[in-house]
Amino acid sequence: MSSFTRSAQQWATFARSWFVIDARMQPPGKIASMCSVRLQGKHKPIYHALSDCGDHVVVINTKHIAFSGNKWEQKVYSSHTGYPGGFKQVTAAQLHQKDPKAIVKLAVYGMLPRNLHRRTMMQRLHIFADDELPEDIRANLTEELAQPRKIPRKLSEYTQEEIDAFPRLWTPPEDYKME
Amino acid sequence: MAARSVLKSVCTSLAGLKLGATGSNVSALQRINVPQLSALTIQSRGIRQVVEKQEGKTTTIEGKSLEVPAGPQPPNPTAKCPIYRWNLQHKYNYTDVLLLSQFIRSDGGMLPRKVTGLCAEEHRKIAVCVQMAHRAGLLPDHRPKLPEGHVPKKAKPQLNRYLTRWSVTSVKPIYKKGLKWCKKQLAVGHPALKDNVRYSVKPLYIKH
Repeated sequence: MSSFTRSAQQWATFARSWFVIDARMQPPGKIASMCSVRLQGKHKPIYHALSDCGDHVVVINTKHIAFSGNKWEQKVYSSHTGYPGGFKQVTAAQLHQKDPKAIVKLAVYGMLPRNLHRRTMMQRLHIFADDELPEDIRANLTEELAQPRKIPRKLSEYTQEEIDAFPRLWTPPEDYKME
Repeated sequence: MAARSVLKSVCTSLAGLKLGATGSNVSALQRINVPQLSALTIQSRGIRQVVEKQEGKTTTIEGKSLEVPAGPQPPNPTAKCPIYRWNLQHKYNYTDVLLLSQFIRSDGGMLPRKVTGLCAEEHRKIAVCVQMAHRAGLLPDHRPKLPEGHVPKKAKPQLNRYLTRWSVTSVKPIYKKGLKWCKKQLAVGHPALKDNVRYSVKPLYIKH
């Protein structure tokens, strides 16, 4: 901003901010792409790969993540321990039950550039399975990011006036037994 | 159907005459309020208002179906299918619960096409949307009634999902995804809804 002093402008440009994202009812892939953009610093006009301009990102409520389609049952996470017969394949549902943070962590890891900066960027990512944040992280937060997916309303969340305002599309015949 | 309704009106009028005969002996003030003929009224879609009429010595107790106030008129009244009557052809999705709830029973199942008057494709599309809405948890009150004293064996993990095409228990994990040219894609949404109106430039992705 032109009204800032030079030192204040310098600080505002190069300071490392802390973002928070709520992953409740959100697809983990979209959350991960938002995280990776901010961890690399690609949302800043001063971005350069070598200038270490990435920010911190805190993801909360990862245990309430929502996959589209049948990915909970179909998506498989594979790993190998290095020992013979050590090829492990786990479905997303099983992995989520074992560790609710793992899906988001693996998604972000796969979206970051494959260089030595990736590990430092992962250290700046903080994932929490539920709402509770430690005090020092809560004190650092600067901005909350909007959720990528609009959560649809359940039928029980509509008021009776809204339900009545919606027109009846068809009338049942006189003697049809409606339960 | 017409015969049944005629019989019903005859039934109610006969019952009215019988009660009328006994009622005329007793003065109006002393007449006991007879409980409305629950055994004789056949179940119907609306609760019928019981109306008593006294003409001289005969009392007629009649069940009149409530006059539902006529709602807004559909923009295309000549079409046969209700979706086409309201011009909602390619405009609804699994999130439009207010629309979908009009075509389902209280336990979540679809109503027959002969009753709702939907055409075949729209009935199928609505069925698909209702399935997806159930799996997304958007219809929490339309659950099948469990028999009394039914204890679920173990608590299933509550996983949030949306746009699920296949049934949750029937799907198998994809252990071998395949190479780029022959990848086994994950199915999202349903191809029946591929013609829905899109206001953004991005196409609808069914294979993820």
